[in-house]
Amino acid sequence: MSRLASTAEATRNALSRRGFLVASGAAGIAFGFSHVLAAIDPAVPGGTPAAPTGPQFEPSIWFGIDAAAIVTVNIIRAEMGQHVGTALARILADELEADWDKVRIVHVDTDPKWGLMVTGGSWSVWQTFPVFSQAGAAGRIALIEAGAKLLGTSAANCTARGGAVHAGGRSISYGDIAKRGGVARQFTPEELKALPIKPAKDRRLIGKQVAALDIATKTDGTALYGIDAKVPNMVYARPKLPPTRFGSKVVSVDDSKAKTVRGYLRYLVIEDPSDTVPGWVMVIAQNYPAAIRAADLLQVTWTAGPGATTSEKDLQAHAADLAGKAESGVALDIVNAGAKPTNAASTLERVYTTSTVLHFQLEPLNALAFEKDGRFEIHTGNQWQSLILPTLAKALGVPETKIILRTYMLGGGFGRRLNGDYAVPAALAAKALGRPVKMVLTRQDDALFDSVRSPSVQRVRMSFDKDNAVIAMEHHAAAGWPTQMNAPALLAKTKSGGAYDPFAISGADHWYEVGHQTVHAIPNDLANTTFRSGWLRSVGPGWTNWALESFIDEAALQVKSDPVAFRLKLLTGAGRNAGSAPSAIGGALRQAEVVRRAAARAGWGEKLPPDTALGIATSFGQERDMPTWVACVARVHVDRKTGVVRVEKLTLVTDAGTIVDPDGALAQTQGAALWGLSMALHEGTEFANGLVKDTNLDTYLPLRMADVPELDITFVESEHVPVGLGEPATTVVAPAIGNAIFAAVGARVRHLPITPAAVLDALAGRSA
Amino acid sequence: MVKRIFLGGVLALLVGLAIFTGFAWRPAISPIARPAAASFAPALVAKGAVLASAGYCASCHTAKGGAALAGGYAMATSFGTIYSTNITPDIDTGIGGWSETAFRRAMHEGVRRDGAHLFPAFPYDHFTKLTDADVSALYAYLMTQPAVRAEDKANGLPFPLNIRLLQAGWKLLFFKPGRYEPVATKDATWNRGAYLAEGISHCAACHTPRGALGAERKEKAYAGAAIDNWIAPPLDKTNPAPIAWSQSELVAYLGTGVSLYHGTAAGPMAAVPRGLSRLPAADVAAIATYFTSFNGSAARAGQDAALIQKALATDRIGTGLQYDAGTRLFTAACASCHYNGSKGLNPLRPDLALNSTVHLDDPTNVIRVILYGIDAKDGAPGVVMPGFGTGFSNADVARIAAYLRATRTTKAAWPDLEQKVAAIRAQGKGQE
Amino acid sequence: MTSFTINGRPVSTTIEDDTPLLWVIRDEIGLTGTKFGCGIGMCGACTVHVGGRATRSCITPVSAVDGADVTTIEGLDPKGEHPLQHAWREIQVPQCGYCQSGQIMQAAAMLKDFPAPTDEDIDAVMTGNLCRCMTYVRIRAAIRQAAGTLAEGPKA
Ligand code: FES
Ligand code: FES
Repeated sequence: MSRLASTAEATRNALSRRGFLVASGAAGIAFGFSHVLAAIDPAVPGGTPAAPTGPQFEPSIWFGIDAAAIVTVNIIRAEMGQHVGTALARILADELEADWDKVRIVHVDTDPKWGLMVTGGSWSVWQTFPVFSQAGAAGRIALIEAGAKLLGTSAANCTARGGAVHAGGRSISYGDIAKRGGVARQFTPEELKALPIKPAKDRRLIGKQVAALDIATKTDGTALYGIDAKVPNMVYARPKLPPTRFGSKVVSVDDSKAKTVRGYLRYLVIEDPSDTVPGWVMVIAQNYPAAIRAADLLQVTWTAGPGATTSEKDLQAHAADLAGKAESGVALDIVNAGAKPTNAASTLERVYTTSTVLHFQLEPLNALAFEKDGRFEIHTGNQWQSLILPTLAKALGVPETKIILRTYMLGGGFGRRLNGDYAVPAALAAKALGRPVKMVLTRQDDALFDSVRSPSVQRVRMSFDKDNAVIAMEHHAAAGWPTQMNAPALLAKTKSGGAYDPFAISGADHWYEVGHQTVHAIPNDLANTTFRSGWLRSVGPGWTNWALESFIDEAALQVKSDPVAFRLKLLTGAGRNAGSAPSAIGGALRQAEVVRRAAARAGWGEKLPPDTALGIATSFGQERDMPTWVACVARVHVDRKTGVVRVEKLTLVTDAGTIVDPDGALAQTQGAALWGLSMALHEGTEFANGLVKDTNLDTYLPLRMADVPELDITFVESEHVPVGLGEPATTVVAPAIGNAIFAAVGARVRHLPITPAAVLDALAGRSA
Repeated sequence: MVKRIFLGGVLALLVGLAIFTGFAWRPAISPIARPAAASFAPALVAKGAVLASAGYCASCHTAKGGAALAGGYAMATSFGTIYSTNITPDIDTGIGGWSETAFRRAMHEGVRRDGAHLFPAFPYDHFTKLTDADVSALYAYLMTQPAVRAEDKANGLPFPLNIRLLQAGWKLLFFKPGRYEPVATKDATWNRGAYLAEGISHCAACHTPRGALGAERKEKAYAGAAIDNWIAPPLDKTNPAPIAWSQSELVAYLGTGVSLYHGTAAGPMAAVPRGLSRLPAADVAAIATYFTSFNGSAARAGQDAALIQKALATDRIGTGLQYDAGTRLFTAACASCHYNGSKGLNPLRPDLALNSTVHLDDPTNVIRVILYGIDAKDGAPGVVMPGFGTGFSNADVARIAAYLRATRTTKAAWPDLEQKVAAIRAQGKGQE
Repeated sequence: MTSFTINGRPVSTTIEDDTPLLWVIRDEIGLTGTKFGCGIGMCGACTVHVGGRATRSCITPVSAVDGADVTTIEGLDPKGEHPLQHAWREIQVPQCGYCQSGQIMQAAAMLKDFPAPTDEDIDAVMTGNLCRCMTYVRIRAAIRQAAGTLAEGPKA
C-alpha cells in the first residue's frame, strides 16, 4: 500500500500547499470569479449561485465573505449523496467562527487552480480537514485583525464568534468588515501550518447535528443533475453501442429504418483519437425518445474487438487458474520478521469467488457538450475531473485549458463516475456537429458498458503450528484491475518494480498478526481485455474482505476457537500493526475495539431460535494509511428447506476518528451497509459473449425497501483524525452474513452473491 | 362493441341461389334533401343522444383521430379489414340524404338506403328490437350532428366475402327481425333492462359465443367469447370472478367503469360504461337487474367477506424479503398500485385476487393489460395504468401472469404463457 | 394531439402518441424534477400523479393521459411544503436525491389510500421505488412522521 498511501498523502499535501492570499474586493476578479459564479450551489433551485453582495473578502481560494456576511465555501468535490459540501464547509466555518446560517457552498467548475479534483476513496473529509481548518483559521485571524482596527482596539482584545469580531461590549460583523474592504494579510505556508487549530472541545459545528445544504432542493425537484442540463439549440444523442468495449470497428451503417422516426436527424460514427469509445455510433435526434427509437432501428455492422465471446465462466476459470499459482501476479511489500516458517503442523486453504456487479447508479450516464468562445464545456456529473480532462484534450485535439467541466449533482456515483469515459462521445459529437449535444444512455446502455466490479477469485491459506497458533498466511487475489484500465499512472510499485493496482488488493494487507504474510495481487488479463473494470464502492475490499473475513471464521473453526475471540487474539496491535500518526494511530487495537463493541451490542453468545445465528466480520476500510475501523454482526435465519437467508439485523460499530457530520456519517453507513447486504444476497450478473446479461431491473435485483433489516449503527466517539465513511461498511456485511449462515445451519458459502440454491448446495454438502 | 366481423357471407353460398335472389333483393329508397336541424324537436334529439351513447355509435363510427361519426374506423379481421361508414348527415358521403324510413330499415333490417345488405358488423340483429320511437330519436340525433365530408373507405374483404347480396343468405339463416317483446312474467324494470341490453346496447354481441357461421349461439347466451383480441367474460353463472356480480357491483361497473370487487372496464369494454353513463341511473340499474336475474349472484351472496379476507391476506406474499423472480417483479412493478393489505379494498387499487381476468381460463386479458396498460379515458376515468410492454420482455410478462395465477387463484397454471405473450405483442395494442 | 393539465396548467402536444409521458414532462414542458432511472417501470424515479394516483411516467404513453390531470413533484405543493417534504427535510432522507421526487410522489399517493400505514403497507407500496443510495430506513421514518402530521390536521 505504500504507493497508494503516497498518492493519497500527496493529494492531501498538494491541497495544503495551495497558496493563501489575503486581499479584499478586487482580488475576486483576479481569481477568475466568473468561473465560480458559473458553478453549482446545491441549496439553490436550479443551482445558480447568488452573486456576492458588494466587495468580497477572499482570504484563500477556498472561501469568500461578502458584504452581506455570506460565507461562500468553494467545494471541489462532487456531491453524490454524501453531503460532502456541508461536511467540508463545517470544518472551515468552525475555525472561521462563521455564522452557519450564512454559509453557502459552491461546487466549482474545473480550473487548474483547484489542483486534483477527485471524489472517491472516501478521501474527501480526510484530505480536506487540515486544509479547510487552516483556511478557516487564517480567515479568522485576518478578520480579527481587521475588525480590531475598525473597532479601534488591538487584535489581542478581540474574539471571533458567530460571524462577528467582538471586543468588550462591541462587535462588528464579518460582512461589515468585508464591506469596508482593505483587509490585507498574507500567510506563508509555515505560518499556515503553525496556525492555532481549535481543540476538539471548542468546536461549535464539527460533530454537531446540522441540516445538510443540499437536502431541500432534493425534496422539491429543483436540484439539478447532469441529466437536467440544457442549453439552447441542443440536440439529443443516444449511442449505439458496439459489441465489445475495446477494439470494435464500424464497418457499415444503414439508417434507412431509423429515418422513419420523426425527429431523427443523423448518425455519427465517432472517431476518437483517445480510443476511449472505439466503435461507438451516435444517433442524433431532436428529442431523446426519437434518439432511443432511432438507435434501436439503426443497423450497424462492426468487427468486434477482443473479448467478444468471453463468458463469466471463462473469467472465473481464468482467475482461478491464476490464483492457483504460487508466484503469479505481484507480491506486495509486506515486511516480515523472518523467513517463511517450515514448522506448519496444519494448514487451511480455501477459495472464494465473487460475481460481476453493476454500479447501477440511478441516474444513467449522460453528458452535455458544446463549444463556446473557443472552449469546450462539458456539463455532467463526474467524480474525477482531473482524470478525464487529459483524455478529453486528446480526443478533441485541444489543450486542457480549452476544456471546462461543470459538475452537476450526481444521481449516484459509487465509483462509476470516476471513469468519465461518457464525456468523450458527447464532446466529439458536439465538435463534429458544431452544436450542443446532450447524450443520455438508456439504462440498458448504461449497464452494458458499465465499468463493472470485476468478478474475482481468491485463494487464502493459513498455517498453524502444533499449538494451533497462526504462523503464516498467503492471500492470492485475481480480478480485473480498474486502475490499470482507467488510470495506469496510479498503479503502485513494489520495491522490486512490480506494478499493481492498489485498489484491487487493498484489504488483503490486513491488521491481523499472522506471522509470515504474503499477498499476491493478480491481474485477470482476460477481464482486462473484455471490459473496463471499475472502482465500485470500496473497490478491492468488496472482494478481498469477503475472502479474508470468511476465511478467518473458517480458521477459527479449524482451531476450535470462537470467531470473536480468534479475531481479538490476532488483533494484537504489535509490530507492523501498531499503527502510526497521523491517521492510523492505535492501529489494530482500534479494530479490536470495534469488534468487541459490535459483539457486545449484538448479544454475541446469547441463545437464539433454531437455524438463527450471529456472524461477525470486520474491516479497516480502504487503506492502511487511512483506516476506518468497522465491525459488523449479522443475525440471520436460514430456511433449510428453501435455502432462503433472511437477515434480521445488522449491528455495526465504526471508528472513523472525529465525526464531522454525525447525521451524514450515519446516512453513509446506513447506505454502505445496505449496499453490502445487496451485494451479499441480491446483486450480481454474468458475462455472456463479452457483455453483462442483466441490464435492467427486471432481472438485476438490488435491495429494495422490503428487504431492509433492522439496523443498529453506532460510532466510537473519538478525537482522532477524521477518516472516510462512504465505503467501509460495504465490505463487512457479506462475510458477516456468510459466517452467520454457517453458525446457523453449518453451511459454508464461498461465492457472492449468496443464492438460496448455493445455501441448499452447501447444506447438502455439495461444494458451493 | 361489435368489431368482430361476421363472415357468414361465405357460407351463404351454400344456400340455394334460386330461393335466394327473390328474397335478397331490396329496393333503394329515394334520397331526400337533408332535413333542417330545426325540424327535430330538441327533446327528441336529446333522447337520441342518450341512445346513441348507450349504443356506442361513435365508438365504432369514429376513426382514431378522425371527426366524430364520420366513419373510417378499421376493424381488422383475419379475413380482411372492414371500415365503418360515415353516419354524419353529409349529403354526399354520409346519411344526409336518408329519409327516416331508410334509416329505420337499416336499423331494423340491416339494409342500406340503396338497397344493399349491410354486413352484420353493424349489429342490426340487436337494433331490430328498438321501438320505432327510439329509432326516430336516434335519427333526429344523427341528422342534427355536424355534417362531415368523408368518403367511406373501401373494405378490404376479398371475393366472395365482399358480395353484399350474399349477406342476405346469412340473414335468412340467422336473423329474426322484430321489436322487443316484453316478458309478461317479469316486472317492468327487468323488461326495461332486457330491452336496453338486448337492443341498443347489444351486450350479447360481444359476450355470447358465435357459431361457425358467425351468429350468436342463443343456447349459449352470455357464456363469454373472444372478441377483438380480448376475452369478453361470461355474464352468466359461469363467470369465474370469485365474488359474484351483484346488483350493486354491476351498477357501479356499468355506471362508472370501476367496481370494488372486479376491477375496471378495459379493452373494448371500456367504451361501455362511457356509453351507458348518459342513461338515467334507473336504466343502468335495470340492466343490472336483468343480468343478476340469471347470473347466479343471489345464490353466492354472503360469501364475500371470507373471500375478501383471503384476497387481502394474499397481498402479504409480496412484502418482506423475496428471492423468487416472479414475486420480485410483482412487488416492484405492480404492488405499489395493487396492494390493499391492511386498509381493506379500494376500487382504485384493483385487487388482483378478486379480479376476474386472473381467473379466466384464457390469460389474454391479463397479458393485454400488462403489456398495454389502460388509458385515462378507459377503466377508471382519469386514471392510467402504464403499459409494461415497452420495457418488459415476454418472459417478464409471462412471469408476472404466472405468479398471479399461482398466488391469486387455485386454478390450473396457464400453459405456454411466454408464447402467448409474444403472440399478443405481435397483435399490437389495437385501436382501443 | 394530446391535451392534459400539468400542475393545473393546460398543455397540448403533437409529439408521437407513444412518446413516454416522462420525456414530454422533462424535455417538452421543461419540468425536470421527474427523473429517468430505468425506463421500464421498475424503479419509480419517474413517478408522477395521474388523476391523483402514482403513475410511472416512463412507460405511460403520452396519449394515455389525454384529458387527464398530471401532477409532478413541482406541483405537489405550491411551496414545497407538503408534510412529506417537511419530513423528508427534517429526517434528511435524500442522499444523492435522484430517486426522491419519485419516492415522495409515491408516498404522497400512498398516504391518501393509507392515511395511517403500517410498516407492511409502507414496504408493500414503496418497494417499487428503488433507492440506489439505500435511504430506505429514512424513507420509512419520514412517511411515518408525515402520516402523523397529517393525522393531527392543520395546526390552529
Ligand atoms: S424510470 Fe420509470 S420506473 Fe424507472
Ligand atoms: S437518494 Fe440516491 S437513489 Fe435514492
